[in-house]
Amino acid sequence: MKTLLSRLWILLFWLALVAVWEISCRVWAVPEFILPMPSAIWQAFLDVEFNRWMAHLWATLRVALSGFFISLAISLPLAIVMLRSATIKKLLYPMLVVIQATPVVAVAPLIIVLVGTEDPSRILITCLITFFPMVVSTITGMSATPDELIELSRSLQAPRYRETWQIRIPYAMGHIFSGLRVAITLAVIGAVVAEFVAAEEGLGYFIQFSTSFFKIPQAFAGLIFLACVSLLLFKSVQWVQQLWFPWSLNNNE
Amino acid sequence: MEKQALQQASIELAAISHRFEPAGDWVIKGLSSTISQHEFVAVVGPSGCGKSTLLRMIAGLLSPADGAVEVYGHAVTAPRDDVGIVFQKPTLLPWLTVLDNVTFPLKHKYGRVSKAESEQASVLLKRAGLDGVAQRYPHQLSGGMQQRVGIVRAMLLNPDILLMDEPFSALDALTRERIGFDLLDLWQQQPKTVVFITHSISEAVLLADRVVVMSARPSSVVEDIVIDLPRPRSQQTLQHPDFAALTARVRTHIYAQVSAD
Ligand SMILES: Nc1ncnc2c1ncn2[C@@H]1O[C@H](COP(=O)(O)OP(=O)(O)OP(=O)(O)O)[C@@H](O)[C@H]1O
Ligand SMILES: [Mg+2]
Repeated sequence: MKTLLSRLWILLFWLALVAVWEISCRVWAVPEFILPMPSAIWQAFLDVEFNRWMAHLWATLRVALSGFFISLAISLPLAIVMLRSATIKKLLYPMLVVIQATPVVAVAPLIIVLVGTEDPSRILITCLITFFPMVVSTITGMSATPDELIELSRSLQAPRYRETWQIRIPYAMGHIFSGLRVAITLAVIGAVVAEFVAAEEGLGYFIQFSTSFFKIPQAFAGLIFLACVSLLLFKSVQWVQQLWFPWSLNNNE
Repeated sequence: MEKQALQQASIELAAISHRFEPAGDWVIKGLSSTISQHEFVAVVGPSGCGKSTLLRMIAGLLSPADGAVEVYGHAVTAPRDDVGIVFQKPTLLPWLTVLDNVTFPLKHKYGRVSKAESEQASVLLKRAGLDGVAQRYPHQLSGGMQQRVGIVRAMLLNPDILLMDEPFSALDALTRERIGFDLLDLWQQQPKTVVFITHSISEAVLLADRVVVMSARPSSVVEDIVIDLPRPRSQQTLQHPDFAALTARVRTHIYAQVSAD
């Protein structure tokens, strides 16, 4: 737990950083298209209507979260299947690695062409980028289950699905959440990349068109907003873990 | 009553040999022993000689590379319902409370825990002096308490055969003695066959009907010592004229093994 005092120091640090930025820009008269001043960014932020911000936010969140949860819904069963069957694992693992190793940015235009310019293609891109860390962390966690716990299960002659649900998955929660923390930030990246390729709204789209119209302070405002959203999502994953899976915090990692 | 019960063999180990790799060194070589029904047998031997391995073979968790394990005249090929195990490590589930850990075997095996079973678990916890921590989580318990939870968990299913792998190793000497006598009480009320692995020679002599001494690897039984001290055993047993002689005998055999290493 952070104390109030340490929080204050962190706040002061950031304020100082912003102040140095502002002052440097003014003293050296840095052109706006290279590095806009914080005050200009703030002004640009206020100049955009609240409703427009919300519309862009919603467009990005919608894609990022759908992608994240669909990915989760697929990766968990897949990880279980891969853990159960060595053959399936041998078959699928290289495929996953190939998907992960292919830069999403390179595939994104293709997907847009194939699937269309609506949400589904953007969600698919998000899925592709979040999938791998989820599967890998789930498999790692489930196979890290101590032998003694598996022997306990075997000694009771419990059905295999209970070994999975009552021992392996709870045990893997620490690992799974490490994967989810990575995946949630990747989900935002996936959504933004997709918006860069084809979109009419969303924070990624907003940053791109602001830049193309040389509205650099506005682009920075969008960027900072996006970073804040990412951070908040990351924190939310942590909160969920603390709230519902507290044991996974002092267990592994 | 006891003499009559001793007639029937409960566990039969017939020339068991085991190694973990096909061409590796033998861990256990030609080990034979018979354990009668409701007998309390302590197993002692140098560290790494294969005591836990032996226990896992009796439990049906591991098949011997050679030889046969029989329980009640049936070859052991899989874990049995009437065999309970207390593992060397407490193996508690960190996400369950102490009470839920105790009832976990039922939940895991049958998918549900009845109210009566849950109450029985509370009773057993109370008897082990753990009623105050029933709602705590394992990481909030001391190592000794965790071990006691592991013992209570094995007791809940009231198995006919109880396999205990150094169940008291994390307890201090005082608690260790007390829990040992508690175990004997329980054993006398609900007769069971107990196979009790320990590193403590005096504990083995104090509790058991028989002490089996295992040799260093490749291990087998080097000595099988009947402990004919009167029951019920208690603090007085420690003062019994034969007690010192028996512990000395066990000790001599173990030291012979260690120095031969
Ligand atoms: N799964 C395994 N694979 C390979 N070797 C093993 C395995 N389990 C145990 N061994 C080896 O078998 C031998 C006996 O191990 P075991 O755990 O049965 O000893 P132990 O008598 O219980 O020792 P301790 O008193 O220290 O608990 C050890 O030398 C160990 O290294
Ligand atoms: Mg052992």
